Amino acid sequence: MFAAPETYKHDLPTFHSQISMPYTLTPGRAAGTFLAEMPNRRIVGSRFPGGMVIAPAQDFSPVDGEEPEALVQVPESGVLTAFTRVGGVVIGLIRLDGCANEFPHRILADLDVLSVGQRVAAQWSDGDEGTSITAIKGFVLAPEAPEGKVTDLADPAEPLGVIDYSMSLDFEHAYGPYYGRMFDEIREHGRIIGIRTSNGEDALLPPREVDDITHKRTGTWKACGNTGTIRGCSIINMEILGQSRKPPYVYAEIVLDGASTRMIHVIEIDDLESAKEKIRPGTRVRAIWTDGERQGRVSDIDRFEVIED
Amino acid sequence: MGREVGIVGVGQTHHSRRRTDVSQAGLVREAVNRALADAKLSMDEIDTVVVATGPVLFAAVNQPEKWVVDAIGAQGKSVVRVTSGGGAGFAGALAGYYQVAGGYSERTLVVAYDKLSEGQLQYSISTLYDPFWGREFAVGIMGFSAAYWRARMDVLGHTEEAAAMVSVKNRKNSIANPYAHVKKEVTVEDVLNSKPLCWPIKLLDVPPISDGAAAIVLANDKVAHHSTTRPAWIRGIAYCCEADNAPERSLMLSEPLAIAAKRVYRAAGITNPRRQFDVVELQEPYSCFELNYYESLGLCPPGEAAELVASGATQLDGDIPVNPSGGCMGANPIGAVGVIRLIEGATQVMGRNESHQIKGAKTALVQSGGGWANLRGCAVLSA
Amino acid sequence: MSMPRVGIVSTSMTQLRPAWDSAQHIDLISAVVLDVFKGTGLTLDDVDFIIDSGSDVLDGRSISNCGFLGALGAHHKEEARVEEDGLWAALYGVNKIRAGSSSVGLIVAYSKPSESRDIDLYWGSMVEPFYQRPVGFGQKAALGMQAQRYFAAHGIKDTDAAALVARRWAAAAEGGQVAIDAVPDADTVLASAEAAAPLTDLMISRPVDGAVAMLLSTEDIAVRLGRAPAIITGIGTSMETHAFSARSANQLESVAKAAAMAGAKAGWKPSEADVAEVSASSAVGELLVLEGLGLADAGKGLDAAMSDKVNRSGGALPADPLMATGLVRLAEAYRQLSQPHPGADAPRRAVVHGTGGVAMQTNCVFTLEV
Repeated sequence: MFAAPETYKHDLPTFHSQISMPYTLTPGRAAGTFLAEMPNRRIVGSRFPGGMVIAPAQDFSPVDGEEPEALVQVPESGVLTAFTRVGGVVIGLIRLDGCANEFPHRILADLDVLSVGQRVAAQWSDGDEGTSITAIKGFVLAPEAPEGKVTDLADPAEPLGVIDYSMSLDFEHAYGPYYGRMFDEIREHGRIIGIRTSNGEDALLPPREVDDITHKRTGTWKACGNTGTIRGCSIINMEILGQSRKPPYVYAEIVLDGASTRMIHVIEIDDLESAKEKIRPGTRVRAIWTDGERQGRVSDIDRFEVIED
Repeated sequence: MGREVGIVGVGQTHHSRRRTDVSQAGLVREAVNRALADAKLSMDEIDTVVVATGPVLFAAVNQPEKWVVDAIGAQGKSVVRVTSGGGAGFAGALAGYYQVAGGYSERTLVVAYDKLSEGQLQYSISTLYDPFWGREFAVGIMGFSAAYWRARMDVLGHTEEAAAMVSVKNRKNSIANPYAHVKKEVTVEDVLNSKPLCWPIKLLDVPPISDGAAAIVLANDKVAHHSTTRPAWIRGIAYCCEADNAPERSLMLSEPLAIAAKRVYRAAGITNPRRQFDVVELQEPYSCFELNYYESLGLCPPGEAAELVASGATQLDGDIPVNPSGGCMGANPIGAVGVIRLIEGATQVMGRNESHQIKGAKTALVQSGGGWANLRGCAVLSA
Repeated sequence: MSMPRVGIVSTSMTQLRPAWDSAQHIDLISAVVLDVFKGTGLTLDDVDFIIDSGSDVLDGRSISNCGFLGALGAHHKEEARVEEDGLWAALYGVNKIRAGSSSVGLIVAYSKPSESRDIDLYWGSMVEPFYQRPVGFGQKAALGMQAQRYFAAHGIKDTDAAALVARRWAAAAEGGQVAIDAVPDADTVLASAEAAAPLTDLMISRPVDGAVAMLLSTEDIAVRLGRAPAIITGIGTSMETHAFSARSANQLESVAKAAAMAGAKAGWKPSEADVAEVSASSAVGELLVLEGLGLADAGKGLDAAMSDKVNRSGGALPADPLMATGLVRLAEAYRQLSQPHPGADAPRRAVVHGTGGVAMQTNCVFTLEV
């Protein structure tokens, strides 16, 4: 499948998925102090045995991993040692006076007036950036700025224990021919279809080109029933981010009639105790499809229900 | 053919619910410092480093080995990261083992960590599910682990009581473990009455969420003596898997673990695991898994795990003590756990375990695993 | 006590495309795993272990390997996930076979960067979050400054870089392994949008979707199969400090270290190779790699780059399947050694390079011989 060129280009839909969560990251002592001092407009560095100073402060030397002997305050002026422009924003490397290293930050000037070796100085943000390195808005050209000196850090602020952070990643997943066909059938006909193994009658769900176990090419499509049997289930009684239902409810692995592998879904319940008795491995269940318009997703089945004898 | 490989130095952090004094890099540094000191080596004498952590989404730094390399002082060296969900630490040790056994290095440092306090554990672990097929129903790994346990309850008799006994045993054992942070004795009643989270998994069936790091130094037979006169030799180690959605997928036995055990036992000359092992350290993400592993590791026949734990045989004073360190119940920095279990097993056979030294321990079995309960391995250590 | 020599028996690759929008990850993976056995006489049953390279962040899935085990052919076998470029997975595989417990291994590397809405986040999430991420420092900024410094230090111009890029795209188009609509000439390269001054878009390696599989075995088994094994005679890797600004300017020390490690085992220096397949994140990065390998003196990388023996496949500039690029280079080198063009002096030795991290922080070098 992978070598044949497509002769007919389709506009294929993709499946959007987002992974987005908040974090509480721990900066450690050096970065924690640096960030805590940002509102005080003091730039904190680390001094290592032997006298080398680097800024921003680090708990470990980038050269050999040694630990610093002290945190210090470093000057706001220094030298531009490299720069570039990405997405219209100029970013450069700055070596602050008295420091051995360079670090990246924004340069608040146009690319065409910059050259390596120019003196620059920090410009603090007008607004409140809080305990972030962006409290320094960026660095501006400062040809007259005198050579600054590294000094002791008097009364350092308590290092931050955590900072709030968030990460959000968006994906557009390709369906591929197997998921594409299956979800198309779900949307158009409200029916689940799987793929037969190379040597069997039961359908694999979800379907794919190659059988997971035998690693042989799979066979033909097969419709599965609307009913099935529970293979494993648990009663969800806790709240987590992103839940589709309010607990308690049953999380179930269900083998649909005609299929050999399981699909995951939910069963609504009244309470924990009665659910323990009523819903167990072996229990027969029926898919309850959504009343609304189907989207071509597993959630087009709203839930499963126990089939009462 | 390959060289013999032994664990010659160990170090772990004092694990805690949340360390706000060190970053991930700082945590790693602590464990590494201890392991190197224990092995009487400096970083210069280490040839290669393997870093292992849980999934990157746990702590928002992609390919974190590239960041923590500085904290370890390993700039310039060969550094690589392996990952395998909860089994990451063990997978890291396995990769390190092969670097030494394959002659690529003489001394390899394996460091594993997770700083779970930094992220949203259940949500981030839910992203292990296929986004198209099932992720919207995911409840971390607890949802499916509980479902598999439920299936074993009827068929194999892995009752809530039996799992509760595991939790009671391990929580009690944790109390003497200097590196554990949860040290609270509980009774079977306490466990049975604790809040159901994903029933049958209840609050006290669940290990804590921890920040922690653990490191071991692996060395070959030529240079091991520089570090210790009594290395914990790795007699066999394997880590196998199964495709997660298989028709025949056994919810009863952990087939990948059984396959790994078969290989490892053959390499290590183990024909009767129950009799030949002096001590076992295994990674129980929930109490029910320990029952599953008794059977999958061949410590008892299928269906007899409940009987085994009830008999007291796996207690400290039993004939096959399991998790004298307390297992995951005392500390659970997930990505590091595989290495922690190796440390506990190694120090047992080296005669210097800090939790509960099993008298005369010569041969230890260590188990770990991750993923969709479908990545599982074990190792035999002896001194 | 001798360890077996390890060789490459077979390789298989999907076409490398800007977007494999008709396939999922497992489709690409199972395609190469099915194909790699053809003609070898081996089957999946003969495989003792699988090592795979992939990225959770690119795949959009935590522990993504555990969802792909079936496609990888790993069911009931020993599997390991290296979250680094595929050349490191091959390194692991070589060690396993040398250790003696296995004799045949399957190495797979893959990615679909097209599925990430913003590929810059893959790189951005790799830099530490307290100082570098908030100011917008990431791969592009690092590559831009790396290029600025190199141009200034050695008098190399953007037109030189553009000529190199054009040459690589032309080679890739000819090879057929890379999907290319139109081959850009040097002017087109220069005129493409600014990516990170002085680098334009086309001067940065183009992320593409793809998968590659490789069978490694002991020399004995390769000979038994009637194949001329390409033996992996040397491996070296080295990782530099995290902060780009703290690394030596205008050199990739880790490439030199890795090359020395590999060369010491092989008994010859990479500069003595007949062919070289090297990865790179940018045109300047490629020059730095060639200099680090010793194929050229400092500042003279362009001479080596334009030579006939380097990156006959086109290298990474036209096609960079993140996480798989180094293994693709190894596959290409294997092809060049085992199927030389008729009439040419058959190449016997190849040097192969893979890289990872922002501004190529970590590097791996293999020597391969027939």
